[in-house]
Amino acid sequence: MPHDVTMPQLGMAQDTGRIVAWLKAPGDAVARGDVLFEVETDKATMEVEAQADGYLTGVGAAEGDDVPVGQVIARITDSPDESSDKSPGESSSRSPGESPDKEPGESRHDSAGATAPDHAPDHAPDHAADDDGDADGEAGARDIRPAGMLQAVAAPAPGTRILASPKARRLALAEGLDLSRLARAGHAQPYHAKDLDILRAMPADAAPSAAAAAPSRHLTADLPREGFSAFAAWAADHAGLVDDAALLAGLAGGCVAADTIIVAHEAFGRRRLFHVPPGPLGGVTEVDDGTPDLTVRDLRLTRVSGLRLGAEEAPTLTVMTAGEGLSLTLECAAEHLTAAGAVSLVAGFAARLQQPLRHLL
Amino acid sequence: MSAAKSKTKSKVTSGPKANAEDYLRMYRQMVRIRTFEDNANQLYLSAKMPGLTHMYSGEEAVAVGICEALTDEDRITSTHRGHGHCVAKGAAFREMFCELLGKAEGYCRGKGGSMHIADQAHGNLGANAIVGGSMGIATGSALRARLLGHDDVTVCFFGDGATAQGLMYEVMNMAALWKLPVIYACENNGYSEYTPTAEIAAGSITARAEAFGIEAFTVDGQDVLAVNGLAQKLVARCRKGEGPFFVELRTYRYHGHHVGDINREYYRSKDEEKDWKENRDPIIRFRAWLVGEGIASEQEIEAMNAEIEGDAAEAVAYAEAAAYPPASEVDMHVFAD
Amino acid sequence: MREISLSQAVNEALAEEMRRDPTVFILGEDVAEAGTPFKVLSGLVEEFGTGRVIDTPISEPGFVGIAVGAAMTGARPVVDLMFGDFLYLVMDQLCNQAAKQHYMSGGKLTVPMVLRTNLGATRRSAAQHSQSLQALVAHIPGLKVALPSSAYEAKGLMKTAIRDNNPVVIFEDKLMYQDKAPVPEEEYLIPFGEAKVKREGADITLIATSSMVQVAGKAAEILAAEGISAEVIDPRTIVPLDETTLLESVKKTSRAIVIDEGHQSYGVTAEIASRLNEKAFYHLDAPVLRMGAMDVPVPFSPALEDLTVPTPEGVAANARRLCAGELIHAA
Repeated sequence: MPHDVTMPQLGMAQDTGRIVAWLKAPGDAVARGDVLFEVETDKATMEVEAQADGYLTGVGAAEGDDVPVGQVIARITDSPDESSDKSPGESSSRSPGESPDKEPGESRHDSAGATAPDHAPDHAPDHAADDDGDADGEAGARDIRPAGMLQAVAAPAPGTRILASPKARRLALAEGLDLSRLARAGHAQPYHAKDLDILRAMPADAAPSAAAAAPSRHLTADLPREGFSAFAAWAADHAGLVDDAALLAGLAGGCVAADTIIVAHEAFGRRRLFHVPPGPLGGVTEVDDGTPDLTVRDLRLTRVSGLRLGAEEAPTLTVMTAGEGLSLTLECAAEHLTAAGAVSLVAGFAARLQQPLRHLL
Repeated sequence: MSAAKSKTKSKVTSGPKANAEDYLRMYRQMVRIRTFEDNANQLYLSAKMPGLTHMYSGEEAVAVGICEALTDEDRITSTHRGHGHCVAKGAAFREMFCELLGKAEGYCRGKGGSMHIADQAHGNLGANAIVGGSMGIATGSALRARLLGHDDVTVCFFGDGATAQGLMYEVMNMAALWKLPVIYACENNGYSEYTPTAEIAAGSITARAEAFGIEAFTVDGQDVLAVNGLAQKLVARCRKGEGPFFVELRTYRYHGHHVGDINREYYRSKDEEKDWKENRDPIIRFRAWLVGEGIASEQEIEAMNAEIEGDAAEAVAYAEAAAYPPASEVDMHVFAD
Repeated sequence: MREISLSQAVNEALAEEMRRDPTVFILGEDVAEAGTPFKVLSGLVEEFGTGRVIDTPISEPGFVGIAVGAAMTGARPVVDLMFGDFLYLVMDQLCNQAAKQHYMSGGKLTVPMVLRTNLGATRRSAAQHSQSLQALVAHIPGLKVALPSSAYEAKGLMKTAIRDNNPVVIFEDKLMYQDKAPVPEEEYLIPFGEAKVKREGADITLIATSSMVQVAGKAAEILAAEGISAEVIDPRTIVPLDETTLLESVKKTSRAIVIDEGHQSYGVTAEIASRLNEKAFYHLDAPVLRMGAMDVPVPFSPALEDLTVPTPEGVAANARRLCAGELIHAA
């Protein structure tokens, strides 16, 4: 029988949890104990494990969503396609007659008896600063909170405002200190005046790399799958070129190279480096080390269908499966390639993948 | 029975000629009140006067009859309908009009306005915009006199509407217990705002005071000599420690509850107003008496009226031209040094 | 130095001022022979007679109104309002009459009166005899408000209140009447608007009034044992308020908790916290916390009543979190 996957209550005063990442995709087979997703609460990030064997289905919450504790966010079913019978979030705890299009956040009280935080006044003196308006009005009582109401944030959420006291900000401003360095170094927010000691003791930042500082380029292209796979088969049969990786590196390198360059190839977590000289693909040779001028990342056999990772040390071409065809993404820093150069690289690589024989021309 | 007491012959009626000066001053004060109110009414209607105001016209004999029995040492507390008490207690037109217009030279530097004029130099502890709100103050003033051995008397003016306030009963009780030199002067003008008094007051007004053992009187509030005669007597008795007293003064307000209360036929008829104005006006009646007794001639009266009108016109012009208080005074006088 | 109770201190203050100034008198319910239910005034009627220690009927608006009139005309009444809860009965006389006379008259009239009353829960007196209503009167321009926290303050503030030319409401903590403290034999006055640093500290400022000064002091003891140094400040009068001392302390410690036994919402704690926020914002290393009585009518049952007021443990717990740099109410 299907097993509900719910947002767990991990803290006394926790109302919601944020899904940081799904580690299983819909339809994946899961075993009891497998990590299904990571959830971030006001305290920490935790892994949530499967409580049953089966298939993950009916996933109703995406990464980044804030989900009330106790809400059903997926199911583990006996077959991978059982998800269509019920929409996500409709748990068996929903009362009859209740609107099915209810907002996710409202369903918390449906199962309040089981999951609502305990607001009993077990901590009576602790009622300073408790009028923040998140009225737990149904209790009909003053919202005395357990001690958990006062919590430190474990890690800075990327891109959000840094939390720091007015005094810490004033002193940082006066001394020219950058509070964001504390955040990048992983120190827990909010920052107070004493945290500035850590900041003062930190070594000066290395000059920010141009790659990080400069605006990055992100280009994509779509193409049919057949051209390259047919070519690879032909190359293996007729030219003895059995290494797909070397072929891809050679095709990519051929788009830019006037001289011999080093092309990195990444697939299945493995990274290989190739010397790519101008001319025939047979001249491509694997090397042990070197600084790549170009990276080709082959994700055709994964479910990744799009990415935006930002510029890295070298321009990176990523090949992915897109429906019946392939998609191609180039990411690089502005300093790596001019806009025209980037367009030329993507267009050239796409053309070579579609008709590899062009490389020979 | 209490009405009978009011008809007791008083000192002032015993020898008209001998007290000519007193009579003329009483007449003069009544005309000053009427003239002040006529001007205030015009200022209000012509939008030169801000706020809210309540006319005393018609009730002049009450304020004058009582205040003429008082000295500057004696205190009064006044009401929202308080211009008459203020004039009768000795205030000057200029400072009064300045106050009504919110000018710096007003009695309260423009901070009180029509409903809060106080003139401490003449013993006026101030008008009060809370109906019945000054009854404690008047009683406290009398307690202070007893406590410190002063012989001054305090008169608490209030309207028939204020008899509905609980404070009155609390303080009359204490005044009676402690025999305080205070006179509760109930100006019964027949209307509690827009409602006939009979609809808001059960039983007898004077019986309220009598229940505390306070001697109570009813007097014709349109007869300045009757009012003054009674007041002289009660003030004297208060000074001897025989207070407190209660007086119901039957009177009438010519205007509405406030300026702007124009269409009031739903609570009182024009015929009734006409009757009071034509047949029971305190100024007309007293003027006839003065002429009849040979105390003043018509010409002398007319000259006095004209002089008062001139004074008022001059004071109005002065007040209109006077300066507003500077902004720096807005947070001045919140606390005394 | 000798130690006397808060009750004796108030009694001494009144007796001294009545000897000094014949215009001072006492007015209220059962103030003479009974000496009030708390026996604070015992003995005064013997010395000053029923002419100056005047028993009134149970007519709070009436005798407060009478005090206003007496004050306006040259006497200095000290009105005894048996319970602070009865303030609601006298609001017109106190707030519309006493508080406004000086201003409405453009400075001509003054009302030098004292309204003595009390505050404080946990006396098992339930909802109508347990309130701490100082915020109610502190809100009204023209009224001064004093909150003595010990016998010493009670005497010095009372003498100052009697000599002040404004209406002053002085709240005594009814649980503290028998608490003794050192009080000099010689005469002294405590000026209004001068806070007292009750205990020096470096890490956090506990600003506490009246009954809460003891609570803050005990919290400071708890914290000291943990290595947290708390400064305890008693404003002594909340109108006028000694902002300077409070701000200096908070600028030094960077943290503050304001503690008062009035209801927390819209209260004294909120006012003081707000001023610290406005005037010391860039010195704050943590949000200023308010701790007042719970926003409930005071319950009778001891099991419930004790939950409604701030405790030393509660103050210490909050202080600990502020000093630890915990995020208060995660953004």
